[in-house]
Amino acid sequence: MMRITLANFNVLLGAFLLCSSGAFAQGGRGILAADPKNADRPYDKHDISGIWSRNGTPGGYGGGGTCRDCGDRGYANAVPAFTPLGQKMFDANKPSYGRNLGSADAAAHTEEAIGRRRAVPPASGSDPYQTCNPMGPSRALIYPDPLEMNVLSDKILQQFEWGNGVRTIWTDGRELPKDPDIARWWGYSVGKWDGDTFVVTTTGVDERTWVDHYGYPHSADMLLEERYRRISYDVLELNMTITDPKVYTAPWKSETKKFRKLSKEGIKTVDGWAGLMEDICAPADDVEFFNKRIRDPAGGVVH
Amino acid sequence: MKNIRESCFALLVVGVIATAVPASAHHGTGVSYDASHPITMKGVVTEFHYANPHPQLYFDVTDEKGNVVHWGGEFYPNPAQLIQGGWGKRRSEAALPVGMHITITVSPSRAGTPVGAILKLLNDQGEVVMGVAGGVPGQAPPPGPPAGEQKQPEQK
Repeated sequence: MMRITLANFNVLLGAFLLCSSGAFAQGGRGILAADPKNADRPYDKHDISGIWSRNGTPGGYGGGGTCRDCGDRGYANAVPAFTPLGQKMFDANKPSYGRNLGSADAAAHTEEAIGRRRAVPPASGSDPYQTCNPMGPSRALIYPDPLEMNVLSDKILQQFEWGNGVRTIWTDGRELPKDPDIARWWGYSVGKWDGDTFVVTTTGVDERTWVDHYGYPHSADMLLEERYRRISYDVLELNMTITDPKVYTAPWKSETKKFRKLSKEGIKTVDGWAGLMEDICAPADDVEFFNKRIRDPAGGVVH
Repeated sequence: MKNIRESCFALLVVGVIATAVPASAHHGTGVSYDASHPITMKGVVTEFHYANPHPQLYFDVTDEKGNVVHWGGEFYPNPAQLIQGGWGKRRSEAALPVGMHITITVSPSRAGTPVGAILKLLNDQGEVVMGVAGGVPGQAPPPGPPAGEQKQPEQK
């Protein structure tokens, strides 16, 4: 979790003012907030296609911050009580995000849910993404890197830059499976319009994925509802609800997450190749190289 | 335009480091490092690996008695971030050849192993490399010319 002091905020503000003044328009990501120039720009409320990002730091994403009013990486700080099974699953998950377990910093922030105050080094953690397993839908949506909505005639493909994950949301009118034979890393998803809100429901998500970075669990029976509303030309709003009686004693509503619209030209390689980056978690790089030579030794595990 | 972009990138890298070091690396490794006790070393590059999830720099540090310790450091920006700042793979590799003498500031691992998160990196000309000019967390960046052209005094 990011913590921004007043002094550091001033540094960032200075950077934003400099970088969002048009100087960064070519090849950068100047998406601090909804662009005032787009305030009256017409848009189709039923068009959610294109690239969207929750990150507000120009050029700085991927582990960096989210834009200030886009929500953080957590699903929500207010968590319903666990069931006994849910508590057991939560305790088994050892995240590496948030405030350090047992630190004075963690002890000083009791206003935060315990999930955000129990980070351990990845070498002793259990984050499934540390070994490149798919993130699952809610966690991928919460991460600050961009995603692209590819709207086709019978489905929407959500492509997540981080991890290069692709998720299918069927819009061909089918119903969700009642009791899927096998869980999927990205689950089974259907979507339809409810007025100006695009509603996605998902079930059958592999319970090895986490709800968010902080190791909140779910069962394969979880019903995840996502409600998307395009509230201006360059702002997409998302609210989620998890209903999972095996794990949580009540439905769990997310905090509102907001996305800023990016043009594909807003993301370019040094060669000028526009569009989402290939930000793949490849075991050859992440596990065999980075984990063995950096991540694990940093946590005291030397191979 | 390019210079302005790189200045913005350098400023943002500093800003991200200054505000997010304690706990938010791409892969959650921030928790492994002690950002409150950065150390500065002089070393020689032995290997540079530009890849996900974070580029890594390996270097040797020789102490006063002639003992050599082999260090590994991870950059906080990932390749996708670095690319947005103009630090593509070829430019980065050219800036950090094997044998390059560097001055490097890292947040060391809490475990005491010779691994760190790179906060600041200067080449043998005293130039900031890859826009990593953060100094210690919380320290405001000095305004100035773009990364790669910026001369800075060595950190004490």
